[in-house]
Formats: sequence, C-alpha cells, structure tokens
Amino acid sequence: MTTRRIALPASLDQESGRKLLESIKKERIAPGESLLLDFANTQTMDARGGAWIVALAEHARKENAELSWEGQQGDVADFVALIEPGLRAEILKRRETEGFIEHAGSTGIAVAAELREFGGLLVDATYWTLLAPIEGRGFRWGLWTDELYEMGVRAIRINFVMNFLLGLTIAMMSAAQMREFGLGIYVANLVMIGFSRELAAIMTAVVVSARTGAAIAAELATMKVQEEIDALRGMGLNVSQFLVAPKLLALLIVMPCLTALGMLAGIAGGTVWGVLVLEIRWDAWLNQTLSAATIDDIWQGMSKSIAFAIAIVLIGCHNGLRVRGGSRGVGLMTTRAVVMDIFAIVVIDMLFATMFYYVFD
Amino acid sequence: MTTKQNDILIEVHNLIAHYGETLVLDGISFTVKRVEIFVVIGGSGCGKTTLLKHMTALLRPTSGSVIYDGADITKMDEEQCAKVQRNIGIAFQSGGLFNSMTVGDNVALPLREYGGSDEDLIHAIVRLKLGMVGLGAAEHLMPGELSGGMRKRAGLARAIALDPPVIYFDEPSAGLDPIMASGLDDLILNLNRLSGITFIIVTHELESIRKIADRVLMLDQGKEIFLGTVEEALTSPVERVRQFFERRADDFIVQRGA
Ligand SMILES: Nc1ncnc2c1ncn2[C@@H]1O[C@H](COP(=O)(O)OP(=O)(O)OP(=O)(O)O)[C@@H](O)[C@H]1O
Ligand SMILES: [Mg+2]
Repeated sequence: MTTRRIALPASLDQESGRKLLESIKKERIAPGESLLLDFANTQTMDARGGAWIVALAEHARKENAELSWEGQQGDVADFVALIEPGLRAEILKRRETEGFIEHAGSTGIAVAAELREFGGLLVDATYWTLLAPIEGRGFRWGLWTDELYEMGVRAIRINFVMNFLLGLTIAMMSAAQMREFGLGIYVANLVMIGFSRELAAIMTAVVVSARTGAAIAAELATMKVQEEIDALRGMGLNVSQFLVAPKLLALLIVMPCLTALGMLAGIAGGTVWGVLVLEIRWDAWLNQTLSAATIDDIWQGMSKSIAFAIAIVLIGCHNGLRVRGGSRGVGLMTTRAVVMDIFAIVVIDMLFATMFYYVFD
Repeated sequence: MTTKQNDILIEVHNLIAHYGETLVLDGISFTVKRVEIFVVIGGSGCGKTTLLKHMTALLRPTSGSVIYDGADITKMDEEQCAKVQRNIGIAFQSGGLFNSMTVGDNVALPLREYGGSDEDLIHAIVRLKLGMVGLGAAEHLMPGELSGGMRKRAGLARAIALDPPVIYFDEPSAGLDPIMASGLDDLILNLNRLSGITFIIVTHELESIRKIADRVLMLDQGKEIFLGTVEEALTSPVERVRQFFERRADDFIVQRGA
C-alpha cells in the first residue's frame, strides 16, 4: 500500500492542469497505490483548472486508485469544496440493453398493452361521441364547430385540387390505351367507377391524415407534455369527452363531405381531359359518366370514408396521448401517427374491397 | 480572487418594450456593476422575464438601449448579438433543456460548440458543473426523467458550462426545497466571489434576496419603483416596496392583463 504524493502547481489553470494530468498519465499506477493531491503550494485556481482535477479523479477511478487531497487553504479551499461533488461523483449507468428473448417478450407485452389502450380509447370515444349527447351529458358543441371549420372548410381547396389532378392523370394514362381501339369514351366509365369506389376516398383520406391526423397528434402530445392533460384529469374531466369526442364527431361529418367533393373533383378532372384532349362532346361524356356507376359504387366509397375518419381521429389521439419526454417525443409521435394513418387506410381499404367482393356482389 | 469593483458592466437606458400592442416595460433605466449580484424583483407578470430577455438580446425593445460592456446590443445585428450571447450564461425559468439529449450532453453542448474539442476535458467539466448543482448522478438521464427543480439546476449547470463572466438567472429557487434553495444561494455567492461572475437574478424568495443581493431593482406594472440595497428597501418611502419585503397581501387582488 503506497501513496503517491502529487504536488499541485502554484496556479492551477487550463495549461498547468493539462500538463499535470499528462504527467500523471505517463506513470502507470501500481495496483493498490493511492494518489494524494497536495494543494499546499496552490495560490489560485480557476474553473478550467478545477475541471482538470475532475478529469484526474476520473483517471484515478478508472485505474482503481484511491484519491484524496489535502493542504488547501483560503479561497482554494472554498474552490475545492465547490468541485468536490464532481470529484466524488459515481455515475449511474443507463440500464443494460436486453437480450433477444427478453426483447421479443417485452415487445409482445408492449404491443398487447398498446392494443388494450387503443381499445379503451375506442370504447370511451364511441360512448362520449354517440351515446353521451343522447343521454344529455356534456358535449362541447363550441369546440365541435371550430373543428368542423378547421378540418373541413379549410381542407376544401387542397382536397379539390388533389382529386382534380388525380382525375386528370388517370384519364390521361388510360386514354393512351383506350384510344387505340377507338374506345376513348370509356375513359369516362373508368374515371367514374374509379373515383366513386376507391380513388376519392383514398385521396381524401391521405389529405386528411396529413392535415388533421398530424395536427391532432401534435396537439394532444404537446398538451400532454405541458401537463395540460394531467390538469384536465385533475379537474375530474374526461379526456375522451373533452378532446376526442368533438374531433371524432366533426371528422365523421367532414370526411364524407370531403369525399363527395373529391368524387366531383376527380370526375371534373377526367372530363377536362376527355373534352379538351380526346375531343369528345361534353354532353356525351356526361351521359356516359352518369350511366357508368350505380349508387352502390358511390355508397362503397362513402362508407369507406366513415371508417377512415374513425381511424384517423383515434390514431391521432392515441399516439398523442402516448407521448413520452418533451419536444422530441411530440415529433416522434406525430410521425408515428401519420405513418399508422396511411397504413390503416390501406388495410381498411383492403377489408372493404374484400367485403364488397364476397358479400355484396 | 476578485473583489467587488465599481465599473459599470451593463447600462440599461430608458427601455420601452411591447408585446404587440401591450406595453410591458415602460422606461426602465439602471446600471449593473461588474461582479455584483443584481436582483430583479416584482409581482408576477410585471415584466421581469421580459426585461431579462431584452438584456440578453433575445427580444428587441421598442425604444431605449442596453449597453453591455460598452456596446449597445439593441443596435447589433444577429451575428454580433450571437457573439455577445456566447459570452453570457442564461438559465431559463423552466430550464430550457433540449429534450432529445441527456442532461450531460445538454451541458456539454456549448462546450462542444465553442469550448474546444478535448473530450476528456469536456467530460470533466460536465462532471464538475453537474456536481456543483448536485446532479452528479443525473448525467445520463433524459430531461424528461427529471423533476422540475432538477431541470432548473441542470439549466444552471449548462449556463455556467463555459464559465461566462455574466449569468442571467430566471427564478433560480422557485420549485426547489429550502435546503436546496439555500445551497443554490451558496453556490451563487461562491461563483460570484471565487470566479468573479456577475449575476442578474430574478427571484421572489425574500430569504434568498437578503442573503445574496448586492442591489435590488423592483418593477411594478412595467415601471421601475425601487433601486438600491436591501437595507434601503426596508425603509423605502414607496409603500409597495415595503409591502413586498414585509410580505403583506393587497387589500384586494389586483387584476392585470391586456
Ligand atoms: N409572448 C408573450 N406575448 C404576449 N404577452 C406576453 C408574452 N409573454 C409575456 N407577456 C405579458 O407580458 C407581461 C410580463 O410578462 P413576464 O413574463 O415578463 O412576467 P414576469 O415578471 O416574468 O412574471 P413571473 O414572475 O410570473 O414569471 C405579462 O403581463 C404577460 O401577460
Ligand atoms: Mg417570469
């Protein structure tokens, strides 16, 4: 058991501290040896000098050498007292990452918990949106009208443009094939059936999930981070009643409207191409369009849009409420919500296609 | 070691500031001397945080000037402001930590950006500063995992990381227990005495004001109603100042707002 005494320089600063540590690192520390810092000569020291002493302590800890100090006087003693916690600090390590089996297990548990949470939200939201108002319990009509405006009215223009351009594109692409057989007029059928069954609903859902879905997730996540959600709960108010239900009811109304608009816009886009480029008379095109689809086709698109609305609101709220941490969590959850929205839209679309194929045809 | 000096570090001259239409600071003038602990007090919502943000060039005033070390920061462009801000430490009312990094990385950020590249030294400084504020064990935690008071202390550790000559501190002891608050006062006094750091502190804590303040500025509804030492404040002719220090309530609660 030996002790190495290290005399510290008269003025301990950035430069002298660096030199000190370098000289100590050069000599190996023998097992069992301990280090003693002698402050007796030190007249002044500054924060950078103190930092080098902390670095020295770190080095000693790595080498398993005990470190002590003595001889500090006056202001230097005060300074040493100031940096002492840094000299003694034991670092808490992050928890070890888990092995594969544990990982698979905990992922499974997490997914199950998340599904349970989502189910709870679904039940709660359904109750507060559909049943509670009938029972005469509170529904926030003021917020609901705000949401109608925000989700619906303000989305009209972008939704119209997107569907119009898609209609134009579809007509353009199919016309190339159809025209060779002199069947240009049937492009009208294609656009009509495509938009009423599928394209308007999908395009509108994509627009809405990018606008509204992201907004819902970001809003709720920020509220959660700033303890607004806790404040609500603390007042005995129900989150589903207060925040989710008005949004859900609003989108349930807005979404079919936007989808209907999307159908008109898509067909308008197709018509513009048919009349201007394929040079088919517009009344013939219109007659062809109207005879192409039945009300069932439109009903298929509209019913889908209701399912999309439910999915977008609930996924947004679900992810917003699950946020952890601060601003970064808000960004992550918003991203997650939009990705889940798009995925859910495709899955729901597939389910509807299957249902109409096997059940109704 | 540094002793109290008399030369002027910051001079605020007839500062007038608005948020939109609302007048928040109404002609504030005072000076801060080098190596003093200057405390700003006043009722909630009277404009203390706003004043601090103007003194650190985070906000631009409607009129008036803030002379820092001989240069008017209200007339500077972004780049010059950044140069000044690099040399001051700011600890915000709610911590202002970056949520995406660990506490240690938060403190290391200004060091990595401005303080050179020696990772060993940076690590030691982080350790040192976190130790000073009693968070030696929190280095690897995320800000989201800290309590409110811990976040505030981590914010201070980041503010002092570069050993700035001036530190602005918004409500250091709000949210801390009395023991920790008193420890923080000692830390401020020590940093002031040993490293010669000038502090401009917003606080409501009477105890803490008595212990650390060299001079006190009191604001009320955007106006300056007192400037002087604590002893002078206790015998001030202005009723509202004595009321603050004697901790007496209003007869009725004054309603403020736009
Ligand atoms: N971003 C803002 N926009 C508009 N008004 C603001 C803004 N921030 C603050 N205010 C108003 O300016 C006034 C002063 O606010 P400030 O934050 O400076 O108060 P404070 O003295 O720091 O209060 P506290 O002690 O509660 O922190 C308040 O009346 C507040 O309503
Ligand atoms: Mg404030």
